Parts: sequence; C-alpha cells; structure tokens
Amino acid sequence: MVKESSREGSLKKKRKTAAAADSETDVDIYKKSIEFEEKEALARPNDADAQIYFNTCKEIRQLFGEISELKTKNNPDNKMKIMEKTTDVCLLLVLLKKLNRMEKVRLVFPKEQLATEKQKVDSINLQYQNLLYEANHLISEYRKCFQFKSKDEHIELVPVDEFLLEAPENLTKKFFKFDENDEMMKHELRLARLEWELQQRIHLADMCKKLEEEKKKLEADITERKNKLDKLGPLLATVMEATKPVQEHLGLHIDKTLAEHKLASLLPNSLYLFYANIDAYRQVNDKSMNVEIVGDQDEAIQWKEVELNEPVVEEDDLSDAEQEAEAQESEEIVETKKRRHRKSVHVDPLEERKRKLLQVHPLSIEVTVSVKDGPSIKIKFSYYVKLEIVTVSATVDIPSNITGNAAREVLSNENVLIELVEGDFGLESPNPCTSYQLKRVGLGSFQSLVPELGYVYGWAQKVCGIDYLNKQTNKFVTKQTADHMSQTNVELVMKTVKKRLKSRYALAKQLEDLERNVIPTLPATVDLPRTTISSLTKWSSSTYQDFCQAKFTESLLETDLIFPNDIFYLATVTRDSANLQAFVVIKNDYPVAPPIFSLSLNYKGAKNSQNDDNIRDMERAINVDWNHEFSNANWLLSAQITSLCVCLDIYLETDDPSTFQQNTMYIKSSCGRNRRKPFKFRNIGVGVYTQ
Amino acid sequence: MVNKLNKRFYNTVLSQTFTPCGNYLVVGDIYGTISIFHLSKLVNQGSTITRQDQIPTNSFTIKEDIQINSLLTTKSHLVVGTVGEILGYTWKNVKLSKKATPSWTIEIPNAKDSFEKPDVNCLVLEPENNVLFAACGDNNVYSFNLETRKNIKTFKGHKNYVHCLTHLNNKLISGGEDGLVLMWDARTAAAVGKIEPYTRDKVSRPELGPWIGGVGINDDWLLCGGGPRLSLWHLRSLNISTVFPIDDKGIHVAEIFHDKIFAGGRSPLFYQMSFNGDIVIEIPTAAVTTYSAIHQDEPFQTLCIAGSSPKIDVCSNFIYKNLQLSLC
Repeated sequence: MVKESSREGSLKKKRKTAAAADSETDVDIYKKSIEFEEKEALARPNDADAQIYFNTCKEIRQLFGEISELKTKNNPDNKMKIMEKTTDVCLLLVLLKKLNRMEKVRLVFPKEQLATEKQKVDSINLQYQNLLYEANHLISEYRKCFQFKSKDEHIELVPVDEFLLEAPENLTKKFFKFDENDEMMKHELRLARLEWELQQRIHLADMCKKLEEEKKKLEADITERKNKLDKLGPLLATVMEATKPVQEHLGLHIDKTLAEHKLASLLPNSLYLFYANIDAYRQVNDKSMNVEIVGDQDEAIQWKEVELNEPVVEEDDLSDAEQEAEAQESEEIVETKKRRHRKSVHVDPLEERKRKLLQVHPLSIEVTVSVKDGPSIKIKFSYYVKLEIVTVSATVDIPSNITGNAAREVLSNENVLIELVEGDFGLESPNPCTSYQLKRVGLGSFQSLVPELGYVYGWAQKVCGIDYLNKQTNKFVTKQTADHMSQTNVELVMKTVKKRLKSRYALAKQLEDLERNVIPTLPATVDLPRTTISSLTKWSSSTYQDFCQAKFTESLLETDLIFPNDIFYLATVTRDSANLQAFVVIKNDYPVAPPIFSLSLNYKGAKNSQNDDNIRDMERAINVDWNHEFSNANWLLSAQITSLCVCLDIYLETDDPSTFQQNTMYIKSSCGRNRRKPFKFRNIGVGVYTQ
Repeated sequence: MVNKLNKRFYNTVLSQTFTPCGNYLVVGDIYGTISIFHLSKLVNQGSTITRQDQIPTNSFTIKEDIQINSLLTTKSHLVVGTVGEILGYTWKNVKLSKKATPSWTIEIPNAKDSFEKPDVNCLVLEPENNVLFAACGDNNVYSFNLETRKNIKTFKGHKNYVHCLTHLNNKLISGGEDGLVLMWDARTAAAVGKIEPYTRDKVSRPELGPWIGGVGINDDWLLCGGGPRLSLWHLRSLNISTVFPIDDKGIHVAEIFHDKIFAGGRSPLFYQMSFNGDIVIEIPTAAVTTYSAIHQDEPFQTLCIAGSSPKIDVCSNFIYKNLQLSLC
C-alpha cells in the first residue's frame, strides 16, 4: 500500500512538472491505463507472467554477456552492436517493469479483501459477547431469587411425622398421600404445619401464665410459714436459757460439746472429716488423748459467709480480668474485716495474691497425745484453703527428767514426727498443683515456706481424707472414699504417733544416761554379760557430714542405708591404751530399723572394717545379730553399746593375751581359715562366747 | 523392711570351686549357703552385664550359720567341708535344686569329746587312688577313701588346728595355726619333714602370730606364708630362698602355678610374682581379706578371687579384674 501511494505520488509529481497544461485528458488516459492494467493484471494467470519474467531475465543476462564479449574484443564496429544490444536490454527492462506493476496490483486486491472480512468477524464477536454478558446477568438474578429466605424457615416446627399424628384430621388428611416431588403439595403442607404451630404456641403460652400464678401463690404461702418459724426461734432460745441452771445442777456438759460441735460445723470439709473421726477414735480407744478446735469463732463464721457468697471459681480457669475482679473482691473483704487496711488499699497485686494463696483457715485442730509419765505431743492441723493442703506443727512437752542435749533433741518439736512413714519428711507438698501455684505468685519451693506454714506430711493429708489423685472423679464417690480413707488412717496414724512417741521417749532416756557416759542397765532378760572392762568414755552428737568424712564409713555409705536425716552420734569406748570410735546412726523409725554402728579401733594402728576382718565381724555382731522387736525400744541401743564393749574386750584379749587379761568367757581365741574371733554369745552356763 | 542393714552385707566367702565342666563357679560362704554362678554365660556376655546377672543362678543352704570352710570338685560330686562333717552332693542337685540333700556324709572321727565340732578347713583330692585329704580343726589331717568313705589314715602332729593342705607325688604338706609346716608321706602318714617359719627372723612377724595360712609346692620348691611373711623354701635343704616383698597383714592363699607365685590375704591386692620375688601383677580385690583364689585354663581362662566381701572378683585373663559377682 505504501509503495503504491508513493508511486502515485511520484506519478503526480511527473505530471505536475512535465504536463501541467493538458491535465484533463492526460488524467483520463492515465486513469484508464491504470484501470486497464488492473483488469489485465487480474485476468492474466500468475504462472504465465512468472514464466515471462524468467525468460526475460535470461535474455537480459544473455545480452549482457554478448555486450561484455563485444567490449573485450574492442572492435570499432562493435560499438554499434553494443548500442543495439543496449536498446534491446532497455526494452526488456521495460517489460520487467510492467510485470512488476502487475504483480503489485495483484497483491493489493487480496489484501483489501482480507481487511473487509476481518471487520465482519470483529462485529460478530462483539455481538456474541454482549449476549453472553446478558445471559450471565440473568442467571445471577435467577439465583438470587432462589436464595431468598422466608421468615417461616426459622421457626422450629413440629416434625412432619408428629404433625401428621397429632394434628386434627381436617388439617392433615390431604397429606396422607404425600408425594415428595410435588412442589405445590409441599408448600401446602408447610402452610398447614405453620398454622398448627401457631395454635400450639398460643395454647402453651396460656398454660405458662397459669403456672406462673400458681407459683406466686405457693411462694406467698412459704414466706408466711417461714415467718411463723422465725418467731418460734427466740422462744426456744429462752427455753434453753431457762434450762441452763438445771443442766449445771445435773453436771451435764451438753453446752460445751454443743459449742464444740457448732465450731466443728465451721471447719473446712477435710478438717471436719478428721475431727469427726479422731473424736470418735478418742472416745473409743484412747481417752487420754485430747482433741480440741482452736481459733476465733467469729472469724470462722465470717469466713464461712464469705465462702458462701463467693461464687466458686476454679482457680485454674481464671482469666486476667477475672483475677482482677477477684482481687478487688478480696480487698473489699479486707476492708470490712480490718479497718486498718483501708489506707493501704493499693497493695502490690503480687503481694496480695501471695497473701491470698497462703491464706489459712482460721480454725485448726489440736490433738494431744501423751505417754504415761512421759512426754506429750501437741499436734496442730491447719488447713490452707487455696493450696488445699493440711499442715502440721507439733510441740512436745518434754518431761523434767530429760535434761541432756542429745536426749532433748530426739524429742524436739519436729523431730518426733519426721519419717513417721518412711521417706515422708513433710517438706514437699503432696499436692502436685502447689509448685505451680507458688511459681505463679513468685514464691520459691515449698520447702522454704515450711517454717512458716508447718510440715505437710502425707499422713496428715490422708487422715483428712485428701487424695490428690482422685480429686477429679465424681464428687459423690470422692466424699465416700475420703471418709473411708480418713477413718482407716486416723487409727493407723494415731497408733503410729503414740508408738513413735514411746520409742522416742525410750531412746531419750537411754541417751540421757549415755551422755553422762553411763550405759543404762539392761533388763534381766537380755542375754549379755554385765561385767565389761572396756567402758564408754565419750558420747557426743555428730552430723552426716562428719560421718561421710570418716574414711571407715565408706562401705556403709555405699549401701544407701544412711541418710542425712538420720541422727548421728560419735561414741568412744576405751580399754587401757586401746580406744574404739563408733559412729552410731539412729534411724528415724528406731527401733524398727536398729541403730547402725560403724567402728574404728585405734590400737597398733587404725583398724576398721575396711582393713580388718575382725572389726568387720564385730560390726556384724553389733548391727545384725539382733531380733528387733518393738519392746526392745527401751534397751536396744544400750544393749548394742554393751555388746560393743564386750566385743572390744574379746578383740583385745584374743589379739594380745599377754597385755590384756582374759575377762570374757571363750573357748578358742580363733578358729577356722578366717581365724575368726568368738564374738557370738551363747547362753550356756554363765554365758560363753564362741565363733 | 527391705532396707534394713542385713547380715549379707557382712558375708564372707571362704571357698570356691569350678564344676567339672568348668562353666559354673560354686561358692561357699560363712552363713552355710552354697551359691552357683553361670560363669561361662557371664564371660561371654562381655560388657552388658546387669545387676541381675551378677547374682547366683542357684543357691541352697546346708545349715544356717555354719560356715562352709572348703569345697572340692570330683567328677561325680561336689564335696563340701563344713563343721564336723564332709558332705557329698551330686552335680545335678547342686545346679538345680533349691533344697539339695547330700548323697553321702563323712563324719570327722572325733576322739575328743569336745562340744565344738572341728572345722574342715581344707580338702585335697588324690585322684589316682581316689583318696580325699581333709585338714581339720582338731589338729589332725585325715585321709578317706572316696569309694568307701572310710578313714584310711590320720596324720597327727600339729599342735593347733590345720589351715591348709597341698599334695604332690605322694607328698602331703600341711600348714597350721601352730606355725608348723609339716611334710608327710601321703600313704603311710609318717611325718618326713618340718619347718617352723616363725622362728626365722627373716620372715617372722610376731605381731601377726606364728600361723601358716597357705602352702604351695612343686618338685623343688615349697611356698608358705601366714603370720610369717610369704617365703619360698628349697625342698631338699629346707632353707629360705626368697622372701616376697608384699605388703600384707597375713597370707591366706599361696600357690605355685607354672613359673608364677599366686598370693593373697589381708591386703587390698592379690599378687602374682616370679620366683625371685619380683611382683608381676597386682589385682585390687573387693574383699578385705582374700580367702580363696581358684583358676582354670579350660574351657576358658578364669581366675576367681573371693574373701571377706559378698563380692567375688573374676579375671578372665589373670591380669586385671573384668567382672564382679555378688552374693546379694
């Protein structure tokens, strides 16, 4: 197209420059020739033109060849021939030009045709898209219509089956042959059901109103009766008051027990359970025992009221907001309770939470157990409400005949109850939640709180029926099992406490003597000679550290039988130049586990169970060869020490008979391949020692 | 109560022996209990030994609190020397039965009417004629025919009880609490020689006493020790050739084994030495005093050392301890 226009342009230029005057006719001819040429071009076959073109080109090439040939020959007459041939070539070029023009025309025509076709396609496409859009729009509108919710759909209707059964027949009969697919029918059914629903609801509303009225009537009745009862109260009280002189006269303490029982009702659940059981136990088994509820009654009443008003909120589920609310609430309580606190209302919330967590119930139970003519122990049980634990603090009333330090120590306040059950030191809270609770308010381990709160022995929780593992189960069942647990444990624990107190007193009496380097006299039933030359020369308290540091205790430490909580003493037994040092380890459950002795003899070098079989045998004789009945508590330790003296005598007398005169009765000084010494006592005649 | 200190803590092993097959170790303690350990299983197990493996596979009590002084293995029986009698148990009984009963008993002929029965401190077998020698607490050594279990000879000469015995080529050597080492003709029961180590200044240790706890012998040499130092004596001249420089408070085990001397006693170590007195190997022991050390080459090399401890040390190469057995 561009070429064509440029060609036209150039033609126009020619026309303007060459023949400006005769324009009209010239234009016509030009136009005509063009039209003719166009027609000719369309009429002629392409292939023929191509053939002509090739031929023409061939001829031109030929002619050029001839011209160059003629030029090289350089003949004068050749010039003519060259001219001639040049003319031929020019003619042929004209022909080529013509062919070219026709080709151009041929090209233009299909192009135009293509353009018109394209336009047509575009318009059709546009039309199609318009229609598509319209269709989509219609579909969406259609859908919207379908999604429209009618109000009746939200109404809960009686199910169809029920409706068909219950509604009157005139409503339902046309639906018995109900066809799922019949939309009209479906619609009618719905209308019928809606109508039925309306009827029903009206009916029910009426009924509700009636019942409401009835309720009001009953309420009025109840208040009336209540008022009557209230008036009766003071009347009864005056009657009671009037009977008081009579009661006193008859010596009945109904009042006192009544007061106590009233107080008991204010106890927290677990302590109440304990109180009920221990009181029963006291009445039946041990009249010498004393059970008392201590604490301020008014405070307890207040506490109970607060507890009732306060909604029970699970501590664990508290969100922050709730926590704050609770904190405020507690502040209010503080205000009403103690006016002083008013000025410092804005306490540190953490401190407040700490205080709240460590709140103790104002009432606690004091149980006093005593041994005849001996010490008595007062055990105080307190309940920590938020921690849900029972703590124990004890005070021992030591009789005046016990004066020695060591003796008083084994009877000291907390020492008596330690390890009542094996491994129970009461330092770690049995409630698994406690450590988390303490962490939340920024308190350290429970152990650090023990001096302040008291000991949390496992048995103390048991006698109060607290079982942490079963807490989650059904409440009713828990109550029963708790009661059962408390009942069975109260007896067990109280017996153990009494036993412990007795054995501790027995131990203290022995220690009292031992501290004065006197071996207590043994009862006649104990088979041991009473005449020993070796004697106790020193008896002093010791510690676990000292025990560990002594070399000769190594093998005993390896047995895992010695604990830091045991009671340690260092005894020295002497005969002439020989002295025997003995670590005495008294277990907390003396005499169930007998005291353990670890020996070291200083005589011709240090000898102990690590380097001398005889010392080892001696330890065996003292530590192991006993039958440990409970009745032995009174003399077991003394007997062991007496035995220790005898063993030292035997050792020295058999080892060096020339220096140590024989005092003990034995037959052979050594026997067997192990050359063992006669440490075994046999009750033959006056008593003989054998191997 | 489980965690009470019990007497097992103070247990002592006085005697050990291997079964004829060599796969089991039999141990007798002072409480009268025989314990059997499955040694071959433990040795093969290597390092993965639990506490459960260390305890005996079987044990039975012969008589409560009567110490088992000596044990001896014969092809058919385990021979047990306790107090006042020698008992024979079949091996099947020993390995499997919880309440084994003896298949035969030899009472020690007890001339004196003492109410203390004599200990059977050492048992030695002369396999050719099937003769059993027993060193006893009544100062005598007895020989018994194992077939008939009749007393053949009584070897009288010691003035106190006899600690140890050893036997080689019809020669019987015994060591006693009286400090004598006596040499006997095993067939005639005639004393053919005698040495008194406690009288020699070189070896005597008066503070420990004269007693002889262990004797050993080979063709040329005699080994003995106890209260006196462990020493090697030339058999023909009866002169001391070597005094062993070991730190002990009494020897209870002395043996000549090939070209080595084994010795143990009240000492924290068990020694292996050469004839000229050089210490070759020292093995630390669990026991305060070693009372028994036995060894075997077949079916596997083992040395078991036991004494006043409930633990038994086992060395599978004689050089260091690689296993510990426990009676409790």
